[in-house]
Amino acid sequence: MLALSITNGLVIGIIYALTALGVSLVVGIMNVINFAHGEFYILAGYFSYLFAHTMGLDPVVAMVLSIAAVFLIGIVVEYTLIRPTYGDDLYSLILTFILSIVMQSTFLLVFGPFPNKPPNWVKGATNVFGLFLYGNQRLAALIAGAAVIALFFAMLKLTWFGRMIRATSQDREMAELNGINTRRLNMLSFGMGCALAAAAGVILSPVFPVTPSAGVPVALTAFVCVVLGGMGSMWGCVAGGLVLGLVENLGAAFVSTGYKHVFMYLILILVLLIRPSGLFGRSET
Amino acid sequence: MDMRMTKNRWLLAAGLVAFALLPWGLGVYHQHIMIVSLFYVMMAASWNLLAGYTGQVSFGHAAFAGIGAYASGILAAKAGVNPWVGVAAGTLLAAIFGFLVGILCLKLGGIYLSLTTLGFSEILHIIINNEYEITRGTMGLQVPGLLSEYSKLAYFYIFLAGALLTLGVVYRLIHSDLGLNFRAVQNDERAAASLGVDVVKVRVLAFTVSSALAGMAGALYGHYLLLITPQIPSLDQQFLVLSMTVIGGMGSFVGPVIGAFGLEILSEYIRAYGEYHVLAFGLVALAVARFAPRGMVGIFRSVWERRRQAAVHPSLPAESP
Amino acid sequence: MKKRLFFLSVMTAVVGMALVCAPVYAVDTVKIGVVGPRTGDAAATGKAFEEGIQLATAYVNAKGGILGKPLEIVFEDTAGAPDKAASGFERLVTRDKVAMVLGESHSSSALAEIEVANRLKVPFVVVEAWADPITAKNYRYVFRAGPSNSGVVKDTIAKWVVHEGFKKAYIVAENTDWGLGIAEISEAALKAAGVSYASLVTERKSQDHYMELAKIKEFDPDVVLAFIYGTGLHYFVAQAGEVGLTPKAVVLDGAGPPSLWPDFWTNVGDYGNLECFVSSMHKQVELTPLATQYREAYVKAFGQAPTDYKSRSIYDAILIAADAVNRAGATDAEKVVDALESTALLVTRGTARFGTEKGGPEYHQWMPPMLVIQWQNKEQVVLYPPEGATGKLKR
Repeated sequence: MLALSITNGLVIGIIYALTALGVSLVVGIMNVINFAHGEFYILAGYFSYLFAHTMGLDPVVAMVLSIAAVFLIGIVVEYTLIRPTYGDDLYSLILTFILSIVMQSTFLLVFGPFPNKPPNWVKGATNVFGLFLYGNQRLAALIAGAAVIALFFAMLKLTWFGRMIRATSQDREMAELNGINTRRLNMLSFGMGCALAAAAGVILSPVFPVTPSAGVPVALTAFVCVVLGGMGSMWGCVAGGLVLGLVENLGAAFVSTGYKHVFMYLILILVLLIRPSGLFGRSET
Repeated sequence: MDMRMTKNRWLLAAGLVAFALLPWGLGVYHQHIMIVSLFYVMMAASWNLLAGYTGQVSFGHAAFAGIGAYASGILAAKAGVNPWVGVAAGTLLAAIFGFLVGILCLKLGGIYLSLTTLGFSEILHIIINNEYEITRGTMGLQVPGLLSEYSKLAYFYIFLAGALLTLGVVYRLIHSDLGLNFRAVQNDERAAASLGVDVVKVRVLAFTVSSALAGMAGALYGHYLLLITPQIPSLDQQFLVLSMTVIGGMGSFVGPVIGAFGLEILSEYIRAYGEYHVLAFGLVALAVARFAPRGMVGIFRSVWERRRQAAVHPSLPAESP
Repeated sequence: MKKRLFFLSVMTAVVGMALVCAPVYAVDTVKIGVVGPRTGDAAATGKAFEEGIQLATAYVNAKGGILGKPLEIVFEDTAGAPDKAASGFERLVTRDKVAMVLGESHSSSALAEIEVANRLKVPFVVVEAWADPITAKNYRYVFRAGPSNSGVVKDTIAKWVVHEGFKKAYIVAENTDWGLGIAEISEAALKAAGVSYASLVTERKSQDHYMELAKIKEFDPDVVLAFIYGTGLHYFVAQAGEVGLTPKAVVLDGAGPPSLWPDFWTNVGDYGNLECFVSSMHKQVELTPLATQYREAYVKAFGQAPTDYKSRSIYDAILIAADAVNRAGATDAEKVVDALESTALLVTRGTARFGTEKGGPEYHQWMPPMLVIQWQNKEQVVLYPPEGATGKLKR
């Protein structure tokens, strides 16, 4: 039981982290909380289903296409909706909250209330360390999730774009003075935030099929991760995701299955009470 | 000018009397719509006090209504307390919770408040579902009505009184010295602080009052529906309240009133289209929020100003009322 | 300016109300209301209801309608939420002036609606909401032409568990009225039958059941009674296969329709094989000629055989309602209730008769026979009752 809950906690935690990275990126660069983050995750799941299941494309091709499509949609959303809200973080919160409801009802109209599940990449289950059986698709999701996170950090560290992101999230004015076009950077980072949600969506939708309203808990968990890790801190966000995944599963195993999802909100409140800047956040004045 | 003021006051009084007499000429179905609209007037007006006047977006407004509803409902259904006492207790409890949540996160600033209220609303949901024996979970808690005899007409006047009370409290607050502080806090936190305004205190106060008003609205609504379900403190409900305020006009006193009536009546019209109804709301709200952030009131105001300018004083700049 | 705006808003309200009150175009029909979820998590049930309504309206009107007028069904969405259900019910009565109301598939919603039915004195025939208190409250205006939790457990599920010789059972209940209610009744029934059991509660909307399944696996049951409605059941079945709980243990879907929904197989994959579920419909078990007629009409109208049995449940209810109003000779509520109480009508699932003895959930209830069916290589095999069985349990 312990081994299983730890493994499951890691798998779920990696996915939480992946989803939360997108939120964290957008908060860091633009100081915008994208309330519709979970809906972009779901949208990618639907795309992946459409491309792979309905159009019969190879699952991997379908996944890449879905992420690209969500990236583009993210850019359009930034251009049309988010751009006029810069400097007013509450205005963007209201806009994205409404956007999330609009997207949910659109999903319901287009795809119906039933869950949609893209095909599995792998079948069956593996006996992990001879302790318990674990679904292969979940193990694959763990690997894929970790790979995407590694790629993202490599990008941050190694590329010119990554340096721009780090510079801007540390000091926006300085970055502007140094000639960074923050307008374009905003657009790209919002798109990338959506693409990260999309990556999580395509990786996880074969395990947890997408439904129109399934994005809400996804986004809520991502927000808690971001607060827990510290607003805008990328590493904090990964740590936050893993902590949440573990706490939730250990809690379900040893405390209560019915109250599984309360643990993370308790953590949120504790963090706000004790260390509002989060695990890895810079504490501000 | 005086002439016009008195004339307006008379018109307002006449309008109110006409409105108060309206349900006598209506069937129960339409009385029901008016009662629900008045509930949303209370919700939207109190949410507006927070979002529109102090710039704090709470996603837990429906949750506070839920606290009021469940507190009052449980007291009445399980402990046999008089529902009116229950409503008072529910309002008080919502105020206490509002105060606690307020001091927990208001000093951290906007986004933290939004996220915490969201988390708060989720916790409430999970507790309601799990503490099945007390709250009756998704089945909903059946509660007694406010009156021994069920009468839509009586409920209409109760809700009208509740709505007028809410509007009165909001009006008094925003037209007091405190209201000036609200605005100062909203416009520029640092400037407000340097002028000696205790930013956190002002916000906590606004948040507590707003939560208490939501608690009262929720408690009354529960005793009207005779059934309290997790739908009252849900995000869907929160979305409706937010849309009503945004479409009507955030930060304007009458905006939420227009929004609440407009959307509730509209929603009765387009119910028949089932799933399209939420989408239509969402698209309208999105368009308004993006292109007319001051809502219907803002649109009306700018049209009116322009017309007045053109007709009365073609040469003078607009004077703000 | 402010005053003017306030005045404007009051006027908006007045004018708006006037618009809502626009005269309703009257057609001379007998109106009957149906309540059910057309949106929300169980919108599939609403779709099944719509199909049943279409077929039943055609059937009744072809036989001369009700009281010589055509039957008109007004379908009100409940979204599966009790408050919307209660106000929707009231809307049917106050706005549409329906003679009676049928339907519902959520116990929570039904429990809210029966209070309205009782207050407004409108006959209400519940179709697929199983919670015992719906009829156990013994309201004069409330009937149920469909299963109750205790009926399904006592007549079918518990007997099937004993019939198959299962020794250890695990009960998994979603945290809703239906789930917790039927779990409690199952515990009592298994105890009485001498079957050892354990149980746990899961979140209705939970997608990840691994921890729950680990607990179940430790208990090593022969059968798992899964009282999870909706797509949650799909996740549960798929994950039960992944962790190796099945096929050693058999999973019974205690609600039925989720195992018949179109996406069941996409969601569960091969792990759906050998899953059992409760249903009141099977193509080879047709208890009355009307059942055959129904299937043929369905195929003709929709181009395929019916899957979700709830389309047939609402069909039966409409026939029962039409019969009652015709015998009552008026749409007067008291007469209709009296007529319903003396119903003896052959419908698709047998002869409908409502219990009249007060005291328990049997009052005003007709319990249609239910089947336990197993998926064997994507074919439905009836396991229980023995007289209807088309095959044996495979493990």
